[in-house]
Amino acid sequence: MALSQTEPEQTLRHETPPAPSTTLQENDNNSDSAALGVGFLSAALLSACGGNGNSAGSPAVVSADLARSQKAAVVAPLSANDASRFLSQAAFGGNDTDIAAVQSQGAAAWLQNQFSVATDQPNWAWMMSQGFNSVADVETTDGIDNSLWRKLMASPDTVRQRISLALSEIFVVSLEDLPMPWRNFAAAAYMDLLAANAFGNFRSLLQAVTLSPAMGVYLGTKGNEKEDPATGREADENYAREVMQLFTIGLNMLNNDGSVASGAGGKPIPTFTPTMVTQLAQVFTGWNFANSAAAVPTSLQAPMVLNASLHSTSAKSFLGATIAAGTDGNAALKIALDTLFNHPNLPPFFGRQLIQRMVSSNPSPAYISRVAAAFISGNGGLRGDMKSVISAVLTDPEAQTSITGLSNSAGKLREPVIRLAQWARTFKAVSASGKWAVGDTTNPSLKLGQSPLRSPTVFNFFSPGFVPPNNVLGNPALVAPELQITTEATVIGYANFLQTAINGQLADLTPDYSIETAMASNPANLFNRLNTLLAGGQLSSATATLIQNAINTIPITSTNGALNRVKAAIMMIMCGPEYIVQK
Amino acid sequence: MNVPNMHRRAFLRKSALMSAVLGTAGPWALNLAAMSEAAAQTASDYKALVCVFLVGGNDYGNTLIPYDNTNYNLYQSIRGQLAYPQSALAGTVLTPRIALPDARQMALAPELAPLVPLFNAGNMGVVLNVGPLVEPTTLTQYFNNSVLLPPNLFSHIDQQTFWQSSNPNGATSGWGGRIEDLMMSGNGNSMFSGMSVSGNAVFLSGNTASQFDIGTSGPVLLRETSQPLFGSMTCARTMQTLATQARANVLENAVTGMMQKAITGNASLSTAISGVPALKTQFDQTNSLATQLQMVAKLIAARGALGVKRQVFFVSLGGFDNHTMLMEQHPGLLTKVANAISSFYNATVELGVANQVTSFTASEFGRTLSPNGDGSDHGWGSHHFVVGGAVQGQSFYGTLPVTAVGGPDDVGQGRLLPSTAVDQLAASLASWLGVSASNMSTVLPYSGNFNLNTLNIFANQTTASIPAT
Repeated sequence: MALSQTEPEQTLRHETPPAPSTTLQENDNNSDSAALGVGFLSAALLSACGGNGNSAGSPAVVSADLARSQKAAVVAPLSANDASRFLSQAAFGGNDTDIAAVQSQGAAAWLQNQFSVATDQPNWAWMMSQGFNSVADVETTDGIDNSLWRKLMASPDTVRQRISLALSEIFVVSLEDLPMPWRNFAAAAYMDLLAANAFGNFRSLLQAVTLSPAMGVYLGTKGNEKEDPATGREADENYAREVMQLFTIGLNMLNNDGSVASGAGGKPIPTFTPTMVTQLAQVFTGWNFANSAAAVPTSLQAPMVLNASLHSTSAKSFLGATIAAGTDGNAALKIALDTLFNHPNLPPFFGRQLIQRMVSSNPSPAYISRVAAAFISGNGGLRGDMKSVISAVLTDPEAQTSITGLSNSAGKLREPVIRLAQWARTFKAVSASGKWAVGDTTNPSLKLGQSPLRSPTVFNFFSPGFVPPNNVLGNPALVAPELQITTEATVIGYANFLQTAINGQLADLTPDYSIETAMASNPANLFNRLNTLLAGGQLSSATATLIQNAINTIPITSTNGALNRVKAAIMMIMCGPEYIVQK
Repeated sequence: MNVPNMHRRAFLRKSALMSAVLGTAGPWALNLAAMSEAAAQTASDYKALVCVFLVGGNDYGNTLIPYDNTNYNLYQSIRGQLAYPQSALAGTVLTPRIALPDARQMALAPELAPLVPLFNAGNMGVVLNVGPLVEPTTLTQYFNNSVLLPPNLFSHIDQQTFWQSSNPNGATSGWGGRIEDLMMSGNGNSMFSGMSVSGNAVFLSGNTASQFDIGTSGPVLLRETSQPLFGSMTCARTMQTLATQARANVLENAVTGMMQKAITGNASLSTAISGVPALKTQFDQTNSLATQLQMVAKLIAARGALGVKRQVFFVSLGGFDNHTMLMEQHPGLLTKVANAISSFYNATVELGVANQVTSFTASEFGRTLSPNGDGSDHGWGSHHFVVGGAVQGQSFYGTLPVTAVGGPDDVGQGRLLPSTAVDQLAASLASWLGVSASNMSTVLPYSGNFNLNTLNIFANQTTASIPAT
C-alpha cells in the first residue's frame, strides 16, 4: 500500500509578519498579499523568522535564519488567518475564541495546552445517562451516532477529538460489522479508549486497542482459541494480519522517510510472511470478555482477560522475535506488541498516516522523516510519545508553509465528517434537546458518504495510498485518500446535506449567526470574516469578488435578508474547492 | 500445513519483462497505440455485464457443498461445527446437464434455493474453483515458488484489487473499465459506460473510461441547478461556478471536475429514468444488494434514453469476512445474494433483456475449508455464479476440487489452488460483451498465459487462446 512519493521542492519563505489583527473584520484575506504569517517550530524551538516578504530563502539564508531563531526565543504572533488555518489542521477549525486563543498563546503553546484540556462526558457515560441502555437497545446502534457527533461538534477538547477521529480511521472498528449485544456501548467504549490514549504513548494505545472488547469482536481476538492439531484447526488470523498490515508496519519495509525500501533487484521487501501471520495469530488466543453482571456489561469497557487454558502454548516466531513454548499469554502478548512497537517501520508508517489525516496527502520525505524522528525519540528520548508525534506533525515547517509557498499539489481534501463538524463549531451549533441526533451520515447521495465509526471495512473510508483513476492528478506518484469517497453521488449529497444543516434543519442543531448577520450589510466584511473562519483566508480575490457580488443580490431589507446573505455565503464557501481542499 | 512465502519479488521482476513484451512504458501503463489499432467495438444491440462483488472473501465451503455420501462425509468431517446437515441440502441439489465425474453431486447452500430454478432453466452456471492467477500454476509449482503469482495473496485489499484489475493494490484501472475503453465509443453517452451503485471500484475504471457512481436512491440533483440559494439565483449560479471551475491546485481541480461531471450526469440520468415506466418486479428494500440491483435494472430500463449499448455495472455486498460466527452470519448473507440475483434476473425478463444481461459473482478470495473455531480464514480459489439468458446454464464450468485437506488442490487448510483463472472467466465475459480476441490482452494482460476457450459459458465463443503449457 505505501507508495514512494516525490514531493516538489519546497522553498521556505520567511515573510514579514503582518501586524497582529485584533478583530476578524480586518481585511485579512489572502488575496495577492504574501504576508501571511510566519513559519514556526515546536515549543522547544521558538522561531522569529525575519527577512523581507518576497525573498526566496536560499538554503544558507534559511539555516542562518533558523540558527538565529533558536537563540531568539521570540514568537511572532500569528495572523487570524494563520491561526484559523492551524485550527483546521489541529482541530475542526474554530470560532473567534479559538482563533484568538491561538493568536495570543501561539500555536505551539496552544497545542501544549490542548493536551491538558478536560473532555466533557465520555461516550459511554453520556449514552447511559440518556437511557440508551434500555432492553430495546441491546441489538441496535441506538445512541452511538448521537454521542459521536456530540463529541465531534461540541466537546471542549477539540484537538483530542480530532486525534481520536484520526486514530479511529487507522485502528478501525466499525459499527457496520460488530455483531454483538450492546455494539453501541462497545463502540462507545472504543472511542473513549482512543480519546483516553490520544496523548499518551503509542505502546499503551496499541495494547488498549488489542484488548478492546469492540476490537476483539471486530477482528476476532475475542474467544480466539489455540490451535488443535487433532482437527487441524488453526487460530483465527484476522487480528494478527491486520495489526501488522494496517495498524503498525504495513506490507513493505520502509525507510524512515516513508519511501518503500528497495531489496534485491530494486524490489520491495515484504514485512511479513503468511507463516508469520499464522504464528502471531497464536499469540492472540485465550482472550475474552470478563464476566459482568451488569445489564449493560461493564466488561465492554475493560480490557479482555486471559483464559490460560485456551492460550496457545506452542513456540512462535515472527518478525525476528521468538516466544518459547509454554510462555504465559500475558508475557507472549507483551513480546508480540513490543516487537511491533519497536519495528523500524512503525515511525514512518504511523507518522505518514497521521500527517495525511491532519495536514496533507503528499508530505515530503523530509517531513515524514521529522515526524518519524519525533516518534522514535521525542520528549527526551521516549519512543512512541503521542504528544511529540502530534506536535511534530502540526508544527512542522511544511505544515506551516504559507499558501504562496506551496506547490499545486499541496494540501488535502477535508473529510466530509470534519467539514460538518467545523460548521458546527464555527457557528457554535447547539442541540436544544441535547440529543445531537445527527444520525448515521453514511448515505452517499443524501448525506456525507462518511460517518464516524461506520467505515465499510477495516480499510477505513479511504486508503492512504489511493490514486484516483484516469490520472486525474496529472502525476501518478500523488495520492489523495479522500478522493476515494469523492464521487458523482457524494459531491452532490454533501452539498445538499450541508445546505440543510446551514439552514438549521439538521436535527435540532441551531447555529449562531448573530455576529455574521450583524455585518451582512457589508458583503466584503462578511466575506472576509467567513474566509478567515472557514478557510484560513485562503480564498482568492477572484472568489471574493464573485461571492460578494452574489451576496449583494439578496436585498438586506428583505425578510431574513441578512440571515440569507450569511447562509448563502457559508454555502458558497463550503462547497467551493478552495475550502474543500485545505492547504 | 504452512502456507509458503509469496512471490512478490519474482512477480515484479518478471512484470518488467512482460511490459517489455507488451511494449509499454511502465508496468501498468497500457500501450495506447496498440489499442488504437484495434477497431472501436461497435454493436447495434445492447449488452451489459454486472459484477456482484461479495466483499470479505466468500466461504466457498458452505456455498457449494458436496452432497453425494462419500464427499458429504469428507466435508462434514473437515468442517465440523461449520457443516450443514446433509438433510438440509436435499432441496438444493444441482442436477447439471452433464453429470459431474465420479458420481459427485453438489448442492447449493439451502439459503441459495431461489437460484435453483435459474440453474435448472439453464440461466445460471457455476464456475468452479476460480481465483486470481498470473500463469497456470500447479501445486508443486506453488510450493516451489517457481511461477509468478499474484502478490499478497491473502490480503483483502490486494486480492480485491487483483480480481478487479489483474494488478495489485494501487492499480488505477480494472478489466471492466478496460472493456469500456474499447466499447464506449459505441455508446451515445459514454459517461454511463461503467456505473457503480457501490462507490468507487477500480473494476470500472479504464484508462480513458471512468465510472459513474450512483446511490440506491437514484440520481441526485444539486439544488442550485434549479432553485435559488437562500433567495438568490445569482448565489445559486455562483455556488455552481465556484464548485465546478478549473483550478491550478490538482486536488481542487479533481473536486471541481467531479462536481461538473456529477451535475451533468445526474441531470441526464434523472431525465432518462423519469421517462421509463417503473419496474413491476419486486426487490426487497431491506436488502442492500437487492436495492443496488434494482437501481441497475432501472438504469438498464433507461438505456435507450441514455443511448448506451455496452455497459458494465458494479454492485457489492459486505460482511463475508467470516473469521468468526460463520454459521450465524453467512447464511443470511447468502439469502440476500440469492434474493437479489433472482429478483434482478426477473427484472431483466420483464425488460425483455434477459439474454442481453449477464451477472457474475466475485470475491477477493474463498476461505479455508478447515475451521478456525467458529469461522474460516482467508483462502484463494472459490466457486462463483454466472447468471443470464445468454449463459449456457445448468452447468458447471471448470474443475471440481477434491474434498480434502492436504489434497491435490490444497495450499493449506483447504485453501484452494484455483484451477480456473479469473482471466479465463473474465475473457469469456468480455468476449460475450464483444471484445475481440485480438484485443483481449489489452483488457486482461495475463490472459495470453491461459487457454481462454475452456469454460464454454456462452455459445459460439472463440476467444484468443494460447495452448496451456
